[in-house]
Amino acid sequence: MKKRMSVLAGVSLSSAVLLSACGGNEESGASENGSSNSSSSEDTVTIEIFQGKVEFRDQFLELAERYQEENPDVQIEFSAVGGGSDYFTSLRSRFSSGDEPDVFSLAGPSELEDYVDYVEDLSDMEVTEAALEGTLDGITQDETVYGIPFNQEGYGFIYNKAVFEEAGVDAESIQSYADLEEAVQTLDEQKEELGIEGVFALPGAEAWVMGNHLANVYLQGEFNGDVMEAYESPSVSFEEGDQFQQMLDLQQEYSIQPVLNMDYSQQVEQYFSLGSAAVIQQGDWIYPTLQQMDPEFADNNVGIMSIPLEGEEGKVPVGVPNYWVINKNSDAEVVEASKDFFNWMYTSEEGIEVVQELLNFIPAHENFDPEAIASSLSRDIYEKSLEGETIGWAFLGYPTAWGDDLGAYTQEYMAGEREWQEVEEAAIAEWEERRQ
Amino acid sequence: MRNKDVSFWLFLSPVLAALGLVVLIPLIVGVFYSFTDWNGLGFSQFIGLDHYARLLGDERFLSSLWFTIQFAFVTVIVLNVMGLGLALLVTQKLKSSNLLRTIFFMPNLIGGLILGFIWQFIFISVFGDLSGILGIEGLNGWLTTSTTGFWGLVILTSWQLAGYIMIIYIAYLQSIPEELLEAAKVDGANPFQRFRSVTFPLVAPAFTVSMFLTLSTAFKIYDQNLSLTNGGPFNSTEMVAMNIVYTAFSSNEMAYGQAKAVIFFLFVAVIAVTQVYYNKKKEVDM
Repeated sequence: MKKRMSVLAGVSLSSAVLLSACGGNEESGASENGSSNSSSSEDTVTIEIFQGKVEFRDQFLELAERYQEENPDVQIEFSAVGGGSDYFTSLRSRFSSGDEPDVFSLAGPSELEDYVDYVEDLSDMEVTEAALEGTLDGITQDETVYGIPFNQEGYGFIYNKAVFEEAGVDAESIQSYADLEEAVQTLDEQKEELGIEGVFALPGAEAWVMGNHLANVYLQGEFNGDVMEAYESPSVSFEEGDQFQQMLDLQQEYSIQPVLNMDYSQQVEQYFSLGSAAVIQQGDWIYPTLQQMDPEFADNNVGIMSIPLEGEEGKVPVGVPNYWVINKNSDAEVVEASKDFFNWMYTSEEGIEVVQELLNFIPAHENFDPEAIASSLSRDIYEKSLEGETIGWAFLGYPTAWGDDLGAYTQEYMAGEREWQEVEEAAIAEWEERRQ
Repeated sequence: MRNKDVSFWLFLSPVLAALGLVVLIPLIVGVFYSFTDWNGLGFSQFIGLDHYARLLGDERFLSSLWFTIQFAFVTVIVLNVMGLGLALLVTQKLKSSNLLRTIFFMPNLIGGLILGFIWQFIFISVFGDLSGILGIEGLNGWLTTSTTGFWGLVILTSWQLAGYIMIIYIAYLQSIPEELLEAAKVDGANPFQRFRSVTFPLVAPAFTVSMFLTLSTAFKIYDQNLSLTNGGPFNSTEMVAMNIVYTAFSSNEMAYGQAKAVIFFLFVAVIAVTQVYYNKKKEVDM
C-alpha cells in the first residue's frame, strides 16, 4: 500500500512537471487562437511588430495608438529587443521556434539573404514609390523590393560650434584634407584657452567606428557608393587606402589619449557633450544623447561637416540602417493590414505629421518637411540628401563581420603592432575568403 | 537494492526530465548540428568534419584558446591562494571576522557584467587620474594593451570569486579537530609547521572542490570579458566563450560556432576530470 502510494505520488509529480511545461505552450497557443478568433468575430486584425531599436519604443507605441484611433479594427502589438546582434539572435530564435512576428526589421542585403523566403514582395506598394532614390537598394533582390526603409542616418565630423567660433575657425570652409589639418592644428595650439582636452575624441575601442564608418568613406568609391555592388564584389582593393590612413593618423594624433580604451559613451557623453573634445566622428543618432545631457547645447551648438575625401568634398555618407519587412507566412489579412499601416505612416499627410512629431529622424521618403525635423544634425543631413550631396553606405554590403575585423586591424595599427600595408593586405585577404 | 524500485525512478524523473531537456538534448542536438551547415534557421547538408578541420587553422580561435589557458592558469593560482589566505584570516579569533567574511563575499553577489563596467571605470578613469597625481606612468592606458587587458581580467575575476572560494576553505578549516592542532602544538610544532603538516593536508579535499570550481569558471568566463574589454584591443583579450558567441552570432556561422563549442566542451571536461582525479588521489583521510 505504502509502495503504491509513493508510485502514485511519483507519477503525479513528474506528470505535473511535464504537463505544466507543455501546458504553457498550449495555453499561450490557446490564447493566441482565442484572440484571433475573437478578433475575427469583431473584425479586428492584430499585427505583431518586432524590431531592434529600443530607443524608439515609446514613440512608436504612441504612433501605433494614433493609428488605432482611426482604424479601430487594427490592433498593433509592438515589441523591441536592444541593439545589434541581440535583436538578430532573438529574431532567429523566434523563427526557429515557430513564433514568427508579422512585421520585423532587417538591416541589409546579408540579412535579406537569410530571410528572403519569409518576406513579402512589396514592390507595388505606395510607400515603395515614395521612397527616396537609392534608399531601397539594400533591400532589393532581383528587382524585387522586400522592405520599407525605416529612416536614413548620416555621419561625419560633428563639431562644437562655440569652440570653433572662439578659435576663429570657420567649419563651413573646411573642404579638403589640408583645410581640416590646418583647422585641427589651429585648435590644437589653443587647447588651453579653449578649455578642451583634445581636438578629437577617437573611440579606439569601438571597432565599427574605424572599420565600418571611417573605412566606408574611402571604400565606397570602389563600389560606386552602392550597397549591392559591395555586397556582390568578390574583392576590395583599398584604392584610397592612403587617405584612410592619413585621416586615422590625424584623428589619433590629435585625440584625447589613450585612444584604444575609449568607447562610444566616453566619446559622446564624457568628452564631446561636456566640451572636452571639439570634434568627433559620429552620426546624427547621437542627438538624443546630447539632448539628454544638455538640450541647449544639442539644439544650438553642434554642427556636422563631411569627412574630406578627394573628389567628393562636402559629401556626407548617408544610408538606411534598417528596413521594415512583412512576414508573408502571416494571414493574408494581417499582411494587408500591415501594408496599409506603413502606407499611412510614410505617405499619408497625417502619418507624416505624426512621424515627424514623434520620431526624430531623417526620413527616407519624399513629402517630409525638412524644417519640421527637431534635430539640427538630422536636418542638415536631410538637406544634403535632398541636394544629392551624399555618398553611400557601402559598409552594409561588407561581408558579414568584415568591418569588425578591419576595425581590429586598425586597432593593431594604432597600437603600433601592424604596418598599414599589412592592415590592407589582411583585410583584403579576409574579404576574399568570406566571399568564396 | 531498495533504491532501485520504481518509485525511486519516478521521484527522480522530474529532475531527470529537466536535466534532459535543458542539458542533455541540447548537447546532442548541438553535436549533431556541428556536422552540418546549420545557420540557425535550417540546414541543407551534412559536411562531416569540415568545421573541425577548419578549426585547426583558425588563428583567432587558437589565440583565444591560448589566452584562455593562460588566464585560467593564473586565475586558478591567484584565486586559491587568495581564497585560502582570506579563509585563514577570518578563522583567526578576530572580533571583526564575521564582518570581514561578509565583505569578502560581497563581490560575488554582484553580476559579472556590472563588475566588468565598474572595473572598467576603475582601470580607465581612476587609474588614469592616479597616474596623473602620483606620476606613475604604468597606471595610464590600462586596457589599451593586451597585457594590461589580461591582468585587468585576472584582477576582476579574482576579486569577484575569491570570497566564494574563501567560504569553501572556511568550511574545511573549521572541520579540522582542535585536538590535532593542539597535539601538534604540544609536540612543539611552530605555527608554520602546524599549517604545513596538519592543516594543509586536511583541507586537501577543499582544494579538489575549489580547483574544480575555479578551473571550470575561469575557462567559461564570458560576461566579465564582454563588459571589461569586449575582446579589445584588437581581439587580443578575446576568450574562447566570446569567440564562440562572435562566430555564431556576429559572423552568423552557427554550425561552425557549434563545432567550436563542442571542442571547447571536450577540452574543459578533460582538464577538469584529470584535475579532480589527481587531487582525489592526494587527499588524506582522517
